[in-house]
Amino acid sequence: MSGMPSLDPADQMIISAARQIRDHEAVYVGLGLPMVAALLAKYTHAPHCTIVIENGIIRTAPFPLPASTDTVGSQTFADNLGGLFYVNCLGQAGFIDLGFLGAGQIDRYGNINDTVIGDYHNPIYRFQGGGGANDVISFCKRTVVVIRQSRRRFPEKVDFITCPGYLDGKPGSREAAGLPPGTGPAAVITNLGCYEFENGEMVLKSIHTGCGITLERIKEETGWDLNIAACLNDTEPPTAEELRILHEIVDPERIWSGGKRATLKQVEG
Amino acid sequence: MNKVMSMKEAISRYIKPGQTIFLGGMQHGEPSAAIHEIVRQRIDHLKLVSALVTTSNLLIGEGLLDVVYAAFIMQDVKRSYLLQKAQSMGRLPIFIEYSHFGISLALMAGQMGVPFLPTRSHLGSDLFKCNAGIRVFEDPFTGEKLCAVKAIVPDAGIIHVQRCDEEGNAQRWGSMGIDAEGINASRTVIITTEKIVDRDVIRRDPNRTIIPGFRVSAIVEQSWGAHPMHLAGCYSDDMWGYYAEIGSQQGYENYLNNLVYGVSDWNEYLKKRAEMKGNAYFEKLKIKPVASDPIFTGMEG
Repeated sequence: MSGMPSLDPADQMIISAARQIRDHEAVYVGLGLPMVAALLAKYTHAPHCTIVIENGIIRTAPFPLPASTDTVGSQTFADNLGGLFYVNCLGQAGFIDLGFLGAGQIDRYGNINDTVIGDYHNPIYRFQGGGGANDVISFCKRTVVVIRQSRRRFPEKVDFITCPGYLDGKPGSREAAGLPPGTGPAAVITNLGCYEFENGEMVLKSIHTGCGITLERIKEETGWDLNIAACLNDTEPPTAEELRILHEIVDPERIWSGGKRATLKQVEG
Repeated sequence: MNKVMSMKEAISRYIKPGQTIFLGGMQHGEPSAAIHEIVRQRIDHLKLVSALVTTSNLLIGEGLLDVVYAAFIMQDVKRSYLLQKAQSMGRLPIFIEYSHFGISLALMAGQMGVPFLPTRSHLGSDLFKCNAGIRVFEDPFTGEKLCAVKAIVPDAGIIHVQRCDEEGNAQRWGSMGIDAEGINASRTVIITTEKIVDRDVIRRDPNRTIIPGFRVSAIVEQSWGAHPMHLAGCYSDDMWGYYAEIGSQQGYENYLNNLVYGVSDWNEYLKKRAEMKGNAYFEKLKIKPVASDPIFTGMEG
């Protein structure tokens, strides 16, 4: 088809995720794609956002995309270098607006599994664990999850809740578990579409049609009967400027969006 | 009492089989040289509490750990040679999983000398099913649900710092990870330091001291002591180079034979490392230093 843009769904995912960050927000950012998106936001529409990294790094100056959360680059010229305890106290006391996470799996109610597929003691697949992701989603007012979507990564119910979403999806389930009121997953951004949560359940809000993604494809890659917004949209495509900044400034080596890190990850001890 | 000693002596004197040990450096400035020495001395049945300590995986691969308290660590035997090696020896450790704040709170409780600390983290998760060190309880004032994280008091802790005096007043900067609570929770403290400095250097900038000398048992001067990780103001990291190197069976065993068992100490390691990687290797890891403006303390009159 003439005029069909050759838009990379991974780019759309990062750019849509970046747009979730509002200027002046404090954002608790996890490793990988969330970090790419947060840096993109910093270079585009949210230059005043504060980036919070669990190792104890709090910064407003841009920095080179780190291949792990703590590097010489992510530390140098920070506004504050403390420790993990301090950063999480800020979150627990309600001072961090937005959490930005990757995930192993996410389910219908926004529960994240970073621990195990199958039985805990006899796993089919073992993730490395949530790191600080449970803290992020427990404390932040809104949490956005950035994840490559597949049926395996989008099960109806995760085998293990590493990070609580809306648990069983019933109203007040988070509060009943003791979690701070007014927190929880707010959006999920994948390489196929954008989702939000309504009444504790994930709802498809827009499809990356500019990348050739269809509703059928999304349904194929979702492990339950997906709730679809009444006014389903096409995802707003990236601007030329967003793409340029992503490719030339934020991630020129395609460390995260292009898979260089994925190759490295295979050999991780 | 002279606390300054060799790494070999510090580790053999203060790290004993069966102990719970804390290793500092959450992806930044980890005590790699000390970890290599523990492996070389094959001190075993250890319980490790740490967060994201890259080279601590050697302790797992060599079968030296009984228990690992962690939030993020490779556990998939199918995908990891060093876990396979540990399993083949019947030495796969038990992993006890927290979220990172949980590890930090367990150590903070240890530092504070209280049996547990409350948090709103972990609640609603399945982490309670496989970790007896966290428990839901009721706030005695309001009846609200909270998570109690049981204190961890390491028998011994090791951190690597930029500078330390001969009394053990240790100064560390850059991101702090869980170093402050981890080392202050530890009953016995080993400091490895890039440089031993005059006590006046410490006393002119005492806010930077992470633990005071009277809490420290051993001090080891060791430059590049955190390699292959970075250390603020000192050098950059080669973490991914390390993971790539030890990923395969052959790579891992070569690393152990050449760089752990094949050398007697860290200075030999550094020499051999440079021979294996080429002379430019350490040059490339040097950073361009950025100086801070000095702060002032003062005296009356």
